[in-house]
Amino acid sequence: MTFLNAILLWGAAAFLIPLLIHLLNKRKVVTVRWGAMHLLHEVIRQRKRKMKIEQLLLLITRISIPIILALCLAQPVLNALRSLGLGSSSLIVMLDDSFSMRAPAEKAAVAGASVADTARADLQQITESLPGGSAAQIVLSGSSPRKLLDQPTTALDLVPKKLAEVPSMSGPVSANDAFQAATSALKDAPNAAREIVVVSDFQEADWKAIADGAALPALENLSKQEPKPQITFYRIGSDLAENLSIASADLSALVAAETQPIGVRVRIKNHGKRPWQDIPVHLEADGARLRTARVSLAPEGEAVLSFTHAFDKVGDHSLSVRLEGDSFSDDNAFHSVVQVRNQLDVLLIDGKPGAMPLEGAADFLELALTPHTAAANSLKDLIRTRKIDQRKLRRDDYKGAEVIILANCQRIQGNDLAELDKFVKAGGGLLIFAGPDIDIEHYNRELFRKGEGLLPAAIKGMARAEIADSPARVLMQRLTHPSVLYFNDARGGRLQDAEFRSWIEFAPPPNENTQRILSLDRNAPLLLEKKLGQGRVIACATTANAEWTNLPLQPFFVPLMQRLTTYLATEGSAPAWQLVGSTLRMNLEKADLGAEFTLRDPTGQTQTLKSQQEGDKVFVQSPPIAQPGIFTLQRAGTEKTTLLAFNTDNTESDLKPLPADQIKKIADRHEASFADSLQAYQSLDRTRRHGSELWQPLLIALLALLFFEVLLQQRISRG
Amino acid sequence: MATLSDILHAEDITSLQHLQLFARTVVEGFTTGHHASPHKGFSVEFRQHRPYVQGDEIRRLDWKVFGRSDRFYIREYDEETNLRATIVLDASGSMNYRGGKGILKFDYARKLAASLAYLLMSQQDAVGLVTFDSKVRDIIPCHTKITHLHVLLETMIKTAPGKDTSLAPVIESLAQRLKRRGLVILISDFFDDPAAILKAVGILRRKGHEVIALQLWDRDEIDFPFGNWARFENLENDEDFLLLDPATVRQRYIEVQKQFATDLKEGFRKHQIDYLSLPTDESHSMALRNYLALRMR
Repeated sequence: MTFLNAILLWGAAAFLIPLLIHLLNKRKVVTVRWGAMHLLHEVIRQRKRKMKIEQLLLLITRISIPIILALCLAQPVLNALRSLGLGSSSLIVMLDDSFSMRAPAEKAAVAGASVADTARADLQQITESLPGGSAAQIVLSGSSPRKLLDQPTTALDLVPKKLAEVPSMSGPVSANDAFQAATSALKDAPNAAREIVVVSDFQEADWKAIADGAALPALENLSKQEPKPQITFYRIGSDLAENLSIASADLSALVAAETQPIGVRVRIKNHGKRPWQDIPVHLEADGARLRTARVSLAPEGEAVLSFTHAFDKVGDHSLSVRLEGDSFSDDNAFHSVVQVRNQLDVLLIDGKPGAMPLEGAADFLELALTPHTAAANSLKDLIRTRKIDQRKLRRDDYKGAEVIILANCQRIQGNDLAELDKFVKAGGGLLIFAGPDIDIEHYNRELFRKGEGLLPAAIKGMARAEIADSPARVLMQRLTHPSVLYFNDARGGRLQDAEFRSWIEFAPPPNENTQRILSLDRNAPLLLEKKLGQGRVIACATTANAEWTNLPLQPFFVPLMQRLTTYLATEGSAPAWQLVGSTLRMNLEKADLGAEFTLRDPTGQTQTLKSQQEGDKVFVQSPPIAQPGIFTLQRAGTEKTTLLAFNTDNTESDLKPLPADQIKKIADRHEASFADSLQAYQSLDRTRRHGSELWQPLLIALLALLFFEVLLQQRISRG
Repeated sequence: MATLSDILHAEDITSLQHLQLFARTVVEGFTTGHHASPHKGFSVEFRQHRPYVQGDEIRRLDWKVFGRSDRFYIREYDEETNLRATIVLDASGSMNYRGGKGILKFDYARKLAASLAYLLMSQQDAVGLVTFDSKVRDIIPCHTKITHLHVLLETMIKTAPGKDTSLAPVIESLAQRLKRRGLVILISDFFDDPAAILKAVGILRRKGHEVIALQLWDRDEIDFPFGNWARFENLENDEDFLLLDPATVRQRYIEVQKQFATDLKEGFRKHQIDYLSLPTDESHSMALRNYLALRMR
């Protein structure tokens, strides 16, 4: 048994007061010589034995009162009761596993321990001190929240082992999603008493909006549950404020031809308050350092660096940018995979060829996809185009094409439609441009086919901006589609410079397979993408020539078309890079079922992966990747390797924590508790679990004793 | 040793001078007093004529009536006689108590006895005195002479409280000794067996005596105000003591005391005995005056 306020136990010595009074009273006897003894004898006659017992009882009661009062104030904690399972509860830990938790902890027990290490050690102590019969579940709250265990476990010694496997490399915490995951984990909780502990470094980037009053509906719902779970915000701070990171890195092309230069634009950010001078930034290709540049950064400033590099061999190549200088190195590198290919065959089907240059529906496209060839210079184009008049199209023309582009094709007749369908489902890319000659009814009936066909969405009709009206433009917003990410930076080209006089209006997409790539400012999609089988279709609401728009006249038309094309062409292969925490998945041919692959991580360690089947799909999939860098996937028994790049989420790089008072404010708003040390948490836990439970019966006992004392006194006086 | 002035103050005498004690019952007596006697005899108060019967004294014949009517008539008178009052004073050990308030119980008893003796003698009544503890110690027979008062007071003064009480045997023996009917005034705390006391006074009553019981209490014996642990020792028996916390028995003691007083009062009432409870912290003359006023109604 331990006491929360052991010092108050000295108060129990107050039991000596009634005892001394009792003894002193006995010693200080006065003698009364009188005559009414026969009356006293009458009083005593029946009660002598009873009186002795009552006197003793009264003395014991009076001695007990200060002892119990002192016990009550000292708040005893009966550990024995915990091991018997009294007060058992289900503990759901919402552990922040974002990579900012890898920063050094400010009050680390072991020198150099990170926030995540401290969290693990603290959680081990917390779970060890849970009463017998308690269950625990960990919800990892970084990126997409997920449970660490299938079910809450009562084998609490399993928790630290599982926690040791958590790499803490996830992206930012979405608090609401994390609380939703915790709510779902609570449903499996076996105990009536439930606790939720939010363990995090409480980065300002993740929590500022909530501190400023943003709603947390999942937490509000949790608070309304009956019985209400005890919620604690447990902050483990870092003393690292200075950090440099690569905020973003954009490649000018994801697929390149041999010797074709690829531009890398790197944005480096200083998240701290001190300036940095001459920070070396290295460009590495295939693991070899090629070039080093130096940058200086003002406090909380940014710098942008550009590198170019050309690979001279066909195949997958890794390209990394790495900076040196700061102590928190996990976000100091950016990795990408560049596919270098001999040629990328594109079939242009022109629905309305022109007699004069640039009059045809696909003429601008041909120019944009093969600029060097058109300019007749010595540089090589990755893309090789074949432009064919739709009317002269034959079945053999489809052979060898990786991407097919339809430009202003009036109708697609039976055989061609079947060929295209087969082509896309087998993994090919199809880009469809609208035009004044298209038969909308035919497109809806044959190409959309109620969502089953090639077209991503049904066409409602033509739309146009009247002469008096300003033309439609591209809606400027943060672009998320991989094919247009490059244009988020204005240096990639100003998409809003393009003007649209006419366009076709798409009906709302029928299912989730369709996503919007770009929109017009008239709330109409400009580019829509649909997954179909192994391949993809992108539909454009306007023409590929200058008939409806000046888009082909814009400087960014060339990179935009090239990116769309390479995106469609490389869709079957792995992405240029992925976020740490996501899984590696590569689709395979059906014949490859049973094949084995070796995955080699950046440190050289390998693991074997087996191909799997799900429905009619065959693929190879890895567990979530836990570290950034270049991974190599090699099919067993062959030389064929695939490179994969993984990067950390750079929004985690700003290590600035939310001030403790603001976290407390969030906690108070949601009737939760706040602790910023293990001691504070344990004290809270004891107070909640035992202090309040054990002093209450003691207080009741004290009151009962007081009543008993009064009653006994009255009874004794009455005789 | 107490002096005369200790037990009979001038103011007591003054306050009592105006009071007359009228006995309810007629007692025999020699001296004319304020107490009517049913015995016919020499007196000035004519009662009736009755025919002479053989055996009547010749000297009581009314010769004037015989002269007028030639018949023998006897004149009868109401006799006025004096009261024979015996004051029985308890001088046992229990009377030797003086609490926080009031005076020594025995002093109070002596003052009361002296006041009564003076009062009775001032109205020509005969007063006697008996003191006792476990047995009768002094007996002063009844006399009416004023010099007799001095004898009574002297006896009271020289008497000091003794040891054990045996009230009932004392009363019984007194009943044997008092040959003529009269008034018996018992001044005591009656700390004895109530049944025995009542049995003894019953004998007195059957012998035709009128009895007045004056019970003395010290305030401590009524309220039991003791606080600390106390050793209670018996004034009448050195070997009898009790060690206890008075607070724990106070309530019960008060109940027992009340019951004791009530039992006595009820017993006396059954024997038609006037009973008065007198706490020693109250003025004895005032208490007595109230009682006498009651009797005069």
